[in-house]
Amino acid sequence: MDADVMEEKQLKRRRAVIVSLLGGIGSVLTAGILWPLWRFLNPPGTTGEEATVSIPREQVGVGQAHFFQYQGHAAVVVQNAPGEFTALSAVCTHLSCIVQWQPDKKDFLCPCHAGRFTATGKVISGPPPRPLPSYPVTVSEDVIVVG
Amino acid sequence: MAINKKIIDYIDLRLGIRDLLQKNLTEYLLPRNINIWYSLGAATIALFAVQFITGIFLLIYYIPNTEQAFASVQAIMNEIPYGWLIRYLHAIGANVVVLVLLLHMLSALFMSAYKRPREFTWLFGFLIFMVTLGMCLTGYLLPWSQLSYWATTVATDTMNAVPLIGEPLLQVLRGGSAVGQYTLGRFFALHVMGLPLIFGLLVSAHLFCVRRIGVSRPPFGPDYRPWEPNDEFQHEEYPDGIPFFPNYTAEEVAVIAFFLALTTGITYFAPWIFLPSDAFTPADPFVTPEHIKPEWYFLASYQILKVFPNEFFGILVQGVIITFLLFLPWIDRTHERRPAKRPIFVALFVLGVVGFVGLTIWGHFS
Repeated sequence: MDADVMEEKQLKRRRAVIVSLLGGIGSVLTAGILWPLWRFLNPPGTTGEEATVSIPREQVGVGQAHFFQYQGHAAVVVQNAPGEFTALSAVCTHLSCIVQWQPDKKDFLCPCHAGRFTATGKVISGPPPRPLPSYPVTVSEDVIVVG
Repeated sequence: MAINKKIIDYIDLRLGIRDLLQKNLTEYLLPRNINIWYSLGAATIALFAVQFITGIFLLIYYIPNTEQAFASVQAIMNEIPYGWLIRYLHAIGANVVVLVLLLHMLSALFMSAYKRPREFTWLFGFLIFMVTLGMCLTGYLLPWSQLSYWATTVATDTMNAVPLIGEPLLQVLRGGSAVGQYTLGRFFALHVMGLPLIFGLLVSAHLFCVRRIGVSRPPFGPDYRPWEPNDEFQHEEYPDGIPFFPNYTAEEVAVIAFFLALTTGITYFAPWIFLPSDAFTPADPFVTPEHIKPEWYFLASYQILKVFPNEFFGILVQGVIITFLLFLPWIDRTHERRPAKRPIFVALFVLGVVGFVGLTIWGHFS
């Protein structure tokens, strides 16, 4: 009887060793397969992009907005007063729709759920929980540099 | 462990999976003298799974347009992380799949596993092979390289030799008089959707036949007796056999691992075997490269066309061979399966293999 119990215990231990070994090898192999696939789905150029974007000054008149791509997202630069530029993310902080510039009202309107932001990105009304993130702007004679 | 058991109990109560697994794995018995050649079917399925997965990943970045196809493949190879690995596994895997399928069919032929009552298993298997060649041909054009363009031009041109309907057929296949955007569009549609759908249906039918009628007993050993025909359906049972799981599954896993190692080995160390320099030059419809040749599995067919003075006869001969093999179970109707007792069949088998290999080598060096 004791011998049977011992044998059963040994069998269980052997099985546990085999299962752990196979599990270990299987996990390493799975990781080895999943890692290239994960990297394949994240190609360079979709997340990084350049640190700065240059925009010709004549493209942004006083009271006008200019939309562009910045770090993989839509962004906007506005000339609120002569020589006074603000660069903001154009992605609404509510559900990521792209805000539109209202030249007559001098503010931003999100077409999805009517969220409104000031020309400097502060929330005026609607569901957006946060203001639009802003980016540093440097202005030279004829170029606006964002970032 | 207790949670695992609870989850399995929950599913088991609703779907009866324990019973299903028991009947199809541990209680499913195979002939005691089953050999390694029987595992080539499982290896084929595993390799096709790799083809499907890598194919889906390639679809993410590939652009089926003559202006952008080559550049998109180059981007996959050079810019997308591990793109080269996915693409090489797909291109080289296709060659290995054809090789394994050929071996699978040859072993079924040699052991006469196609004979009554397994005629449909053979029929569906042979059609799977033809569809696979179709997937290879259509996939070959997609990178839009010099090799793809001219190999497809030459391969599709043989259709011209079919009397009366050859030319209109070629027009439909190419979508015009020459290989162009419309050819790429239809080959792409066939490669990623049309043929895989047919392939899936055929594989299901093939596996259903295998499981329904049961695995054939290897025709070797002193105990083997030819199958006695009867008029009723009978699942072939092996009460003294070995369980499918874990005994035979372990052997199948080893064979699958071997072919996966072969595919990755070639991918890493010798991809040039299947990708000559013309595969890296964009297609130019005005310049035909020298010595353009099809893939190795089409070389025998290519050489037959060259040997016959008339292209139509070359196609006719191939058509006869294909039809003969497709309907072989209904032509060769004797019940004897032991190769030792079938000298004429074995002689023809060896002649066929030597002929195929010989024509392939001749085609390669001609």
